[in-house]
Formats: sequence, C-alpha cells, structure tokens
Amino acid sequence: MHGRPAGLIRRLGGAEIAAVAIFIVAFAIPISTKSVLVYSVLNQVLVGVVATFSVWIMLRMNLLSFATPAFMAIGGYTVAIAGRYDITDAFLLTAGAFIMPALVAVPLGALVLRLRGTYFVLVTFVLSQIMQLVLFETPGLTGGSNGIAGIPPGTLLGTELASNQQVLLFACGLALLATLITALLTRYFRQHFAAIEENEILAESLGLVVWRYKALGFVVSAGVAGLAGYSLVNMLLTAHPSSFDSITAVDFIAYTIVGGRASILGPVVGSSLLIYATNLFGTHGQYAQGLYGVLIMVVILAARGGIVGTIGTLLRRRP
Amino acid sequence: MAAGMELRVESLAKQFGGLRVFSEVTFSLEPGGLMGVIGPNGAGKTTLINVISGRQAPSDGHVLLDGRDVTGKPAHALSRLGVARSFQQTNIFRSVSVRENISRAVRFGQRGVQPGLDRLLSEFGLTERLDEQSDKLPYGLQKMLGLVMAFATRPSVLLLDEPAAGLERGERSRIDAFVQHVREAAGCSVLIVEHDMDLIRRLCPRVLVLDAGAVLADGAPAEVLARPDVIAAYLGDAEAEAA
Repeated sequence: MHGRPAGLIRRLGGAEIAAVAIFIVAFAIPISTKSVLVYSVLNQVLVGVVATFSVWIMLRMNLLSFATPAFMAIGGYTVAIAGRYDITDAFLLTAGAFIMPALVAVPLGALVLRLRGTYFVLVTFVLSQIMQLVLFETPGLTGGSNGIAGIPPGTLLGTELASNQQVLLFACGLALLATLITALLTRYFRQHFAAIEENEILAESLGLVVWRYKALGFVVSAGVAGLAGYSLVNMLLTAHPSSFDSITAVDFIAYTIVGGRASILGPVVGSSLLIYATNLFGTHGQYAQGLYGVLIMVVILAARGGIVGTIGTLLRRRP
Repeated sequence: MAAGMELRVESLAKQFGGLRVFSEVTFSLEPGGLMGVIGPNGAGKTTLINVISGRQAPSDGHVLLDGRDVTGKPAHALSRLGVARSFQQTNIFRSVSVRENISRAVRFGQRGVQPGLDRLLSEFGLTERLDEQSDKLPYGLQKMLGLVMAFATRPSVLLLDEPAAGLERGERSRIDAFVQHVREAAGCSVLIVEHDMDLIRRLCPRVLVLDAGAVLADGAPAEVLARPDVIAAYLGDAEAEAA
C-alpha cells in the first residue's frame, strides 16, 4: 500500500490494532457455532459496541452526547425506507446508513456544538426526544407507532443475507467498518481531540480551529451511530421507535465509562461485559435491573479509569 | 523571522449586559514595541487582552493589526495571524509531556517552527525536562512553559497576562529574560498586563493605566506612576493626598 491510506493505517496504535483484531476474530464465532443464545448475545454486543463508539468519539472532546439513539434511528430508518423501494444492496445501504445521519448532523452540529457541559448534554437528550416524536408523528414515512416491519433482507454481491449466520457475519462486518472509521479518526486527530478534551480555551488560543474538529467528530459520530442503527434493523428486520428510545443513550454511556474512556478498547470491553451481564441477569427476573446497577457501581468504584484504563495503569506500574 | 506588527486599538469597549467593563480604550503599539498595562483589580485589564486576542467579542470599537481590521475575529484566526497570548493562571496541557505541549503549540499555530525556541527552552531549564509530564514541573516552570508555548506559535504580537503572578521574587527575572528574548529573536511587539510595578518600571518604556474601565494615563512609567490620580486609583484618595 502506498500514499495516504497506508500512512493512516501506520498511525494506528496498539489499542486500535487490538480492537480491529477483535472484530476480525469475531467473524469466527458465527462460523464455529449455531447456538441461538450466542448469536443473540453477539448481535446485541455488535450493535452496542458500534453505538458506544459514537458516544466515545464525542467523549474524546469531553462532550457527553445523548444524541446517539437519534442518529441510530436515522440510519436504521434510512435502511427500512430504502427496503420499501426494493433497495437491498448492502454496500448502498451501508453508505446510506452512514451518510444520512452524518448529513443531518451538519446543521445540528452548527447549533449544538456552541454549547458545553450540562447544556450540551441536555440539548442532545432533547434531540433524541424530538426524534422519537418525529418517528411517532410521521406515519406516512416511518410507519408511526407501528414502525416499518417486513424489511427485505439485504443482498451482498448478489447473495441474500437471509440466514441468522449471514446476518451475524454482516453485523461483524459493520462493526469492523465502524471500528476502522473510529480508530482512524481518533488516531489521526489524536493531538487535536486530546487538546480540546483537556483545555479547549488554550487549544484555540494556540491556533486550533476547535469548532472544525468538534464538527468533524460530531458528523462522524452520527455516521457511526447510523451504522449501529442499520445493524439493529438488519437483525430485527423491523424499524420501530422503541428500538431507538432516547434512554438507551444512558446504556451506551455506561458501556463507555465502565469499559474506560481513554482507549478505543474501553467501548468494546464495556459493551461486551454489560450486554453479557444483562442477558445473564435477565434469568433472575425482577432482580435483573438491580444486579445490573450494582455491577456498574462496583466497576466504577473499583476501577475509576474503567476496566481498560485500570488494567493499563496496573501494567504500567509493574516493575 | 516573523517581524513585529503594529497593534492599534480604537475606541474599544466591552460590556456584559448592563455591566460596562471598559470603554473608549484607544492606543497603538508600534512594531517591535513594548508596553505595560496596569490598573487596580477589576479595571478590565484581562478583559482587554481577551477582546484583543479574540477570546471575547468587543461591544464597540476596532482592533487593527498592521492596519488590517481584525475586530471580532475568533482566537484561532488571530493566533494564525500572529497574535498570541498567555494566561494569568498556568495554562498548559497538564496530562502530557513538556515536549507534547510545545509540539501542540507549533502544530496548532501553523506558522512554522519558531527560531530561537531551543535557546529559550534551554534558558529556562526545560530542555532536560522535555519528557516529563508537565504537571510534575514546579509552578514557576509551568508558568514559563505557558509563555514558551505562546512564543512557539511564532507570534508578531504577544499579549502577556500577569506573567509574574504567582512567581517567587527570584523567579521574576525570567520574565525579563523572556521578554528580551522574544523581542530580540522574533522582533515581537509585546503588551504586558502586570501588577508588579518593579517589573513594569524595569521593562516597559511606556505604560497605560486603566481605571474603572477607562484609560487614566498613557506615557513613560516615571511620569505616569508619579501622577496623583494614578496613585489615587491604586491606593485610594486619602493615601494620594498623603503622598
């Protein structure tokens, strides 16, 4: 490889390479087992990780965003609406699921990226709430409270992605793509994002065009959330407002904090652990939510930098 | 060498809602010139630097750089045009090394590597500490690192906001060395906001006094600091009469 792409890939650090490797290895799981439970958990993990990348990108700039479910909905509904017109090509749908929310994020970013701290959090939460309203109140486009059911399976190079195994393999592919996009963005602009995260005023006074990097991060974060929405809709073959409830943003944020916000491996570890735990605790009926909450509290209290951050600190301390 | 630029401030005013911070502030700083701005707390000195450097928009008036109107341009744009500033509190990227701090200043400024930067780092004893995490440096060195970062953006006009604040008496001579260096090595025009009158007397051939949001005096330090109204502004009327 020559030129810019090769240069970009050379910039990837150990954590980014490990994250990419995890999703390459993930392709082996649907091939090696037919377990429905494994398929279900892995599918949820893949959707969760991609959505969490969207939150993580914004956290690289110290912006806690609740807008991820809104952009997931745009990505998911783009695919569902395209299905109505018999557009099933997976490459086309992937591009649409990324580009549509990214385009919507451009004007939204111009409005909300002026805000910081609590105000940004509140406004992005309201965006997700408004999206819910739009989904329910535009039945002609989105199916309203019924959503859009019976989405035709996608096709990849002429092959219909009809079986559970094919859907899961495709979800692995989307997760790998989201990982590469997230890794390249956050690694290439590592210095810029880190400067904004730590001291935005100083960064700007030194000449950094802060709004440009925030806008770039917001747009790519929206696109990545759109991929998560596509993955979710592709798994359910239904697009429904309840799949994109604004409160799910809390889960994605929890995945990031529990996994650790300093490394791209944080969202991967946090999502995997908490989604697995949700499924495990689900067998305990009424105690499930309580157990889930206790787990989050224990991890946050015992590992302030998240699981990955704490492991990293312990490894650095070793003589 | 990035030569100094002329900084002209014309009838500059800033108010927050009904609160007037300053108004009708007019002065010019010639290319390569050096000027001090003094005044009691709350006189609007830091806000003046914030407005000139683009951190805050003015309510009225103009800022001109070599005759070009740059009023209201954002901080990053002014930095790239050659206006750099330092901050009253230490303002560095605390979680990264000294080297990374300097690297960010050079990269974000996009005006190339500042000649004489190595000599300045060496003079302040930062060369041997380039790989140390910056928040592990003593306070005085953190403050100097903040100044060096502003210089590393290759400015033509440098605005220093209380560079000596928090420094021990013995450390303050570093500010003299810094100002001398940036003027000799880069021909920078320098504006210093400072409370340390000894430092102002030593360094500045000209001083502007701000009081209650207006220019009270502008001239040579010996003249200006002897004026009763300036003394009154600093010490109060009773002391001025006694003086």
